[in-house]
Amino acid sequence: MSSLPQEHAIHAPKRSDSVVMGSQDFVSVLIRSIGGELYKLRQRSMAKILLLIAIAIMIIAFSFFALGTLATTSFLPDRSCTTDSNGQQHCKPLSQQDIAKQQATAQRVKENVSAPLRLPTSLWLSVSVINTVGTILVIILTGSIVGGEYGIGTIRMMLTRGPTRTQFFLAKIGTIIICILITLLLLILVGIIVGALFNLTTGIAVDFSFFTGGWLFHAILYVLIAALGLFVYAMIALCLATLGKTTAAGLAGALIWWFLEGVLGAVLSTIGFFNKGPLGDFLQSIPDYFIGNNIAALRDHQNLYMMNGGTQATATMNLHTIPDVHAMIVLVIYLVAFIGMAWWAQQRDVTN
Amino acid sequence: MVNNISLYDDNTVISTTRLTKAFGNMVAVNDLNLQVMRGDVFGFLGPNGSGKTTTIRMLLGLIRPSAGRAILFGLDTAYQLPAILLRIGAIVETPILYPYLSGLDNLRVVAANSGMVLGKANDHRIEEVLDIVELHGYGKLAYRKYSLGMKQRLGIAAALLTDPELVMLDEPTNGLDPSGMIEIRQLIRRLSSLGKTIFLSSHLLAEVQQVCNRVAILRKGNLVKQGDVKELLRERERIEVRIGQTDQTSSALDVLRQSQEQGATWISNMSIEENKEGEPILIIDAPVARSAEINMLLAHNNLFAAQICPREGNLEEVFLEATTPTSGPSPHMQNGMQRLAPIPEQTEPEKEKEATL
Repeated sequence: MSSLPQEHAIHAPKRSDSVVMGSQDFVSVLIRSIGGELYKLRQRSMAKILLLIAIAIMIIAFSFFALGTLATTSFLPDRSCTTDSNGQQHCKPLSQQDIAKQQATAQRVKENVSAPLRLPTSLWLSVSVINTVGTILVIILTGSIVGGEYGIGTIRMMLTRGPTRTQFFLAKIGTIIICILITLLLLILVGIIVGALFNLTTGIAVDFSFFTGGWLFHAILYVLIAALGLFVYAMIALCLATLGKTTAAGLAGALIWWFLEGVLGAVLSTIGFFNKGPLGDFLQSIPDYFIGNNIAALRDHQNLYMMNGGTQATATMNLHTIPDVHAMIVLVIYLVAFIGMAWWAQQRDVTN
Repeated sequence: MVNNISLYDDNTVISTTRLTKAFGNMVAVNDLNLQVMRGDVFGFLGPNGSGKTTTIRMLLGLIRPSAGRAILFGLDTAYQLPAILLRIGAIVETPILYPYLSGLDNLRVVAANSGMVLGKANDHRIEEVLDIVELHGYGKLAYRKYSLGMKQRLGIAAALLTDPELVMLDEPTNGLDPSGMIEIRQLIRRLSSLGKTIFLSSHLLAEVQQVCNRVAILRKGNLVKQGDVKELLRERERIEVRIGQTDQTSSALDVLRQSQEQGATWISNMSIEENKEGEPILIIDAPVARSAEINMLLAHNNLFAAQICPREGNLEEVFLEATTPTSGPSPHMQNGMQRLAPIPEQTEPEKEKEATL
């Protein structure tokens, strides 16, 4: 039963032949909006600059390990020296056996130091770099693509073109997810290739015995967890940029959050460590609900699987304080809270 | 009981019923009843802060009404906004596009958000709208390098992308030089000739008078006048009389006052002003059709007019009269309002709908 007056839609006249309209169902409109967002990003120099910075940092990180390898293996002594009680040094040439032993040790050191240049460790190094640098870049990107709409004032134009606010909002999230995945995969690829190139200088062959179905599965999970980490911080930026209606609010807010989590986690753990008893335990448990720690726990668990294999990893994981289920629940709660708040803020009147 | 009440005919493009928006205690738009018909070039006038932009924002779904409803193309903005927006091209205040993109890229992004297919399929249409606003050749220039007038025109181009039935332009000539204003005026005429309905919010009364066929005037959020421009101007039409012997002008005024007292109610206000040559002229608020009777009245009293001509009303006078708080509308203005803009009776279902809002 309805008591509302029922209006009838007035027939729309035919548009000009040169106007090619697409399908107007929810998903099609959303996909086109994401396409529009990606087109904007592609044309924007900021996105390219951020990506170049990330690639440069990745190369620098790998070059550190390459230089480290070079430094540890450059000088192998051919004699052993001892100093007597008078302070005089006595040197004698090394025996063939000693030299062989020394070379073997040096080779082991070289292999260990250069391990991040080769798979599977180069994947860990790439993701570690992305975990820090990528987070900052994704926060900058999200803050500007969301807050920029309010800051510049284009939100008015965009919200009067047809897509609903929910579609507009989901298009932003979709764009961020695509950007995170593309950036992550690209940077991992760059890291692995750069690592492999640097590894050529060490002369150590890559042993692909690690490459099994199980490893690949955990490697994919590892990368997805890294993406999830970036996504959670991106959602903080999205939420704050929407609430504050500026790029600066999203950017500064999310970066401060990210930075404070690390500092606060260390401070609380330290206070808790020295403050025995229930209060100490409570303070020490607080960082277990921080985004960074939960992402780190998930990532570390997958890393253990990748490095040590299933059984050993499970044993080691039991020692880890944050279980996977706990981490996932905490992250989902954060995501629901931030996305929910941003969605709610998005429904407000557009008065600027 | 199901009420299938059709309140809107096929020619009504915009219809608002008691549309209201309050920001806290401040009522920005109050009980607004607007009606824009298909093919209208509708001027939406009002001083700064009168609620014009708030109304446009409500019509476009940027802000939600506190009460009342807005129906566009027979569809309610509260429930069918996406379908409505697909039929509208709008610029709200100064159109703002992405400064880091070129004009062409901006239009591509707007097209993607306007229900048009992605890719090059609409490049021809983009070229067309750039042609319409005479920005052809500037498409590849970065938006931030555009002049204010070019930005304004690109905003209009963006509004025209989907070939909409209704074009809403909020202060489209803001910041434009006189030639830019003329171009926009010509563009509005061209769009109107193509059958588009134009909703034009503007401060520039002369401009509105030249291009609009209907207007509504807002003051402090209230609709004070709505109607046909020609009719409104006709109400402001007066008769200008120059007496042959200029020293007899005040005698002529006395004669007309006397006639008014004796029952010539069609004469309302009279005054003596000076023309450009410094000669006194008699200005009479009366229908132009009564000029001959005025001439006869004066002649009967041996006062001979050297010149009798109609003085056309202008929108500025109508606007000032409607928006100046101290001057109440003249009796025939009030009649005009009632005749031109009957406020529809609110039906029960509408009241219920309002309660839900």
